[in-house]
Formats: sequence, structure tokens, C-alpha cells
Amino acid sequence: MTQPGDESIAQHVARLARFLVEEDLESVRIERPHESFEVGRTATERPAVTLVSPKAPLAQSEPRVERITADRVGIFHFSRPIPLEGERIDGDRELGYVEQLGIRNAVRSRGPGYVRAILQRDGDLVDYGRPLFELDRD
Amino acid sequence: MFSKILIANRGEIALRINRACQELGVQTVAIYSQADRDSLHVRQANEAYCVGPGPAGRSYLDIANIVSTALATGCEAIHPGYGFLAENARFAEICADHGLVFIGPKPAVIAAMGDKATAKQVMKDAGVATTPGSGVLESLHQARDAAKKIGYPVLLKATAGGGGKGIRAVERPEDLERAFASSSAEAEASFKDGRLYLEKLIVAPRHVEVQVLADEFGTIVHLGERDCSIQKPSHQKLIEEAPAPNLGAKQREQLHAMAVRACRHVGYTNAGTLEFLVCAENVYFMEMNTRIQVEHPVTEMIYRIDLVREQIRVAAGERLGFTQDDLTARGHAIECRINAEDPSNNFAPEAGTLSRVVFAGGPGIRVDTHVHGGAVVPPYYDSLLAKLVAFGETREEAIARMGRALHETVIEGVHTTADFCAEVLRTPEFREGRYGVGFLPGSLSYAR
Repeated sequence: MTQPGDESIAQHVARLARFLVEEDLESVRIERPHESFEVGRTATERPAVTLVSPKAPLAQSEPRVERITADRVGIFHFSRPIPLEGERIDGDRELGYVEQLGIRNAVRSRGPGYVRAILQRDGDLVDYGRPLFELDRD
Repeated sequence: MFSKILIANRGEIALRINRACQELGVQTVAIYSQADRDSLHVRQANEAYCVGPGPAGRSYLDIANIVSTALATGCEAIHPGYGFLAENARFAEICADHGLVFIGPKPAVIAAMGDKATAKQVMKDAGVATTPGSGVLESLHQARDAAKKIGYPVLLKATAGGGGKGIRAVERPEDLERAFASSSAEAEASFKDGRLYLEKLIVAPRHVEVQVLADEFGTIVHLGERDCSIQKPSHQKLIEEAPAPNLGAKQREQLHAMAVRACRHVGYTNAGTLEFLVCAENVYFMEMNTRIQVEHPVTEMIYRIDLVREQIRVAAGERLGFTQDDLTARGHAIECRINAEDPSNNFAPEAGTLSRVVFAGGPGIRVDTHVHGGAVVPPYYDSLLAKLVAFGETREEAIARMGRALHETVIEGVHTTADFCAEVLRTPEFREGRYGVGFLPGSLSYAR
């Protein structure tokens, strides 16, 4: 059950998480007189993508899961704002891009949905057909 | 020496290059299409990356994906193998632009030798004999004069030609007018350029090619010749042997000398092959392949030189470790191409799953292959399954070993050329080395 004030805490955490990824930091800690937050990378293979959007729970009914894969070989980067797992994507949004020989090849959501999984880290080498995102389609 | 190389190819040649790299202590990056995901070359390389879907145009020919893979994985060089991008001067240029070494000659040399008209002119300038021919023909009258001068039979060819379009063989003067009209019309329809030229028709020549190696320090050597006259009706080679049988010592030396002279003239580096038509006492330059050839193992067997390793060493800026005087051929080697094709159906290529695969072994046998039991032959690429190579101290011994090896070879799941090769080996013409381009046994014989 969500309590009053929880949403703002979740929003704080999400903001910190984005900051963490954008600045490529290991952890961020904010201390206030009566509370403190610390957001850090886990020791898993994909620490930067284990974030959960505060607003969007995963769909309860069985969603249609669609994988978005790389169609170029190159270095994968997240687009800004960095998509979060569980985040609602409206419309055809650029989620990331594959940088190849100095050219930015956009990776788009190709329609609305929830981000079920983010499968690559910023800076990963991805080859053709490599899964990048899983989206739950409405 | 390089520390890491990308192998821009598939199949047996990708494995062949990988083997040379592993022996040199060079790390390898394989590329593959989705159709080749389970291929041996993917498993045996140190790293492997998918560059596209099955069709070659979207995978093995996708220059941006290949170069990007090389750069992202820290490769210093790309070995193109044969086919695909091996003779693409633009690809070689792009590699250089991105600081990658293309394992082959310089882009300008690839471009010059890739254009048949330019290559012939370059060879003429180097004093190498080319097929007698005319310049561009302005009229039928001019064609008559040229044909008379060259001597019948002649070939009418489209200046903008390719793929056999516009080619007409003319045996007699009275046939020239009709052939000129139809050849010009076909050339116009195919290339929007109806201009023609004439070339002497060489009847039943032998296809003899000379292997060369050259380093960046001016050392150029030849590694003898190969006879590749046993070809399918589509003119694709089927059986090759080294040295070429029944070639006089003088003609052999002439071929070798022409090849080295031509390479020196164009500033050639790395491995290459000059193809000649040999007809009685006459030798004519046909074309140059600026890459490793499919049939290179027969040369390796008799010279005991790893040509792919030498390619890599030369590209890395090392000197050839030998001079011409150090090279001596020994024995005889024959290669049979085992293709997934049905010889009884005009060598139609076949795709499918290989339910059973057993290759030959034993003394003097080498098998370069990427297939195994359960392997899938995709429909997108050339149909070569394996190269069966037999070595003998004499040609007779090599033929006997090859016959035995073909008999031992079992490939089930698709038709192959194995039995057909065995049939060729049994003919008196092959056994006596009295064959030329156009020779095939029985009903498949045809005149070129």
C-alpha cells in the first residue's frame, strides 16, 4: 500500500538513479537532517539498468512482450532521458542509439508500452540482432 | 605482428585463416550471419559477432558493420579471404581510412587489376602477352578488317560487358554481320552501351595460373603454377592441380617470369594469382586475382609454405622469410572441390542439413572444410563444402590417393560433386594430363 510521501521519495530515488547513470558514478548519497538516500550500482553485470520507475508498475494482465534488437553493429548508448525499467513509454520514443563509425543509429520504441527489461549497459558493444530492450505492449 | 585480426569471411576459408592466426599467436574475431550462427568458424575464433541476416548483401558485404566490429573489438587488421569483399578496392580504402590494415594489396592495385580492360593494358605495358584484340569497333566494316587481321575464330565482346552478355563467337567471316548486330543489340539492352570490340577466340585452352607473393621491401617470388582447366559448364573450377601437367620447361619458366614481371610493374604486395590461357606454344594473360585463391592448398602442399601465414606476415610489415632460390617444388598435389551441387542437374546448388559426414584421411590427404554431421548448408552462399587435397611424390600417386580419398568420403543430405570428380579422375584424358577448358567426361563434355 502506498503511503503519503512515498511517491516523492520514489521520485527522489529515480532522479538520483538517472544522475548516477548520466554521470557514470558508482553511488550517490544525500543526507538531510531527518532522512538520507543512497543510490548505488549493484555488483551485477548490468548495474545501471536495474532501476524501477516510481510511477509505472508492470502490467498485471499478460502483456505482449516485444524485443527491440540492434540492427547495426557498434557501441550502444542510452538516449536522454534514460529509460527505466517499468517506465511507461508514450509513442515512438528514442530509447538509445548504436554509434557506428561516428554515426548515431537511433533505437526507437516503435510505439507505446512499458519498459519490461533493459538488456545492455551504456557503452556495450552490440552486434546485429542483440536484444537491447523488452517492452510490454499495451 | 598483429595482436588481433578480424576474419571477414565464412566457411572453410574463415577456418583456414583462423588456423594461421592461432599458429602465429594472433587473436581472432569472427563475423557471421544469422544463418551461420552455429558454424565452426564462429566457435573456433576467440570472439564472434553477428553482422546481419542470412543474405550476404546484408551481412558479409555490410562494410559498415564489419569495420565497426573490427574497431570496437580492437582489431588491427582485416583478412578478407576470397569472394565477398576480398577484391573490393573501396573496402580496402575504408579499412585504411579507419587505421585498419587490409590484408591484401593496396587499394589502387586492386582497382587497377579488377577492371579487365585496365588490367590488360597494364599487362601489355609490362610486356606480358594478352589475347590479341581490337580497340572499340566503330562499324561493321571496321570489325571485318579487325577480324581478318586477328584471324578467325574471334569473339565479339561488349566494352561495357559482364556476365557473358553480348559475347558472340564468330567462326567464319560470313557470320560476322549477324553476330555484330545481335551482340550490339544485346549490349545496348543490357548496359545501355552497344559498343563492341574483338578478341581472338582461344579454342580449348588450358587455364594455368601462377601464384605470387610479394612483401613491402621489393621481394617478389612465384610459387609455381596450377592447372585449373577442369571447370563446370559455368566456368567455375572443380579440380585443380600443381604443378600443371605436360607443360614444357620453357613455357613454365615463361609463365613464372611474366607473373613476377607484372607484379613488379604494378608494385604488387601480398599474395596474388595471375591467370593465363595456354594454347599450344602461346600464352595469354587473362586476369589477376588480388587475393588468396580457393585452390591455394595445392601450392602449399608442393612448396611446404603456409600462404595465409605469409599474407599476414607481409601485411604486418615483415619481410618474406625466403627468396626465389629458397623455393623448390616437390611432388604433386590435386584438389577436388566437394560442392553441395547436383552434377546431373547442371550442377544446381543444394541447401539442407547434412545427415552424415565422413571425410577421408590417411597419408597425403588434407581436408579443408567447415561442415560436419548435422551441419546446415544455408541457401545464401556458394556451395563449397570441402576441399579435398591429395599429395603424392608423383602425379600418379596423387591421382591414386585422391581416388581413394573420394571413395572414403561420405556426405549425406545433399548431392555433391564427389562422385563426379572421381569420374573425371578415371578418364584417360585426365590421367594423361591431356585436357583443356571445356573437358568434362561423357555427356557433360562441351565445346567452349
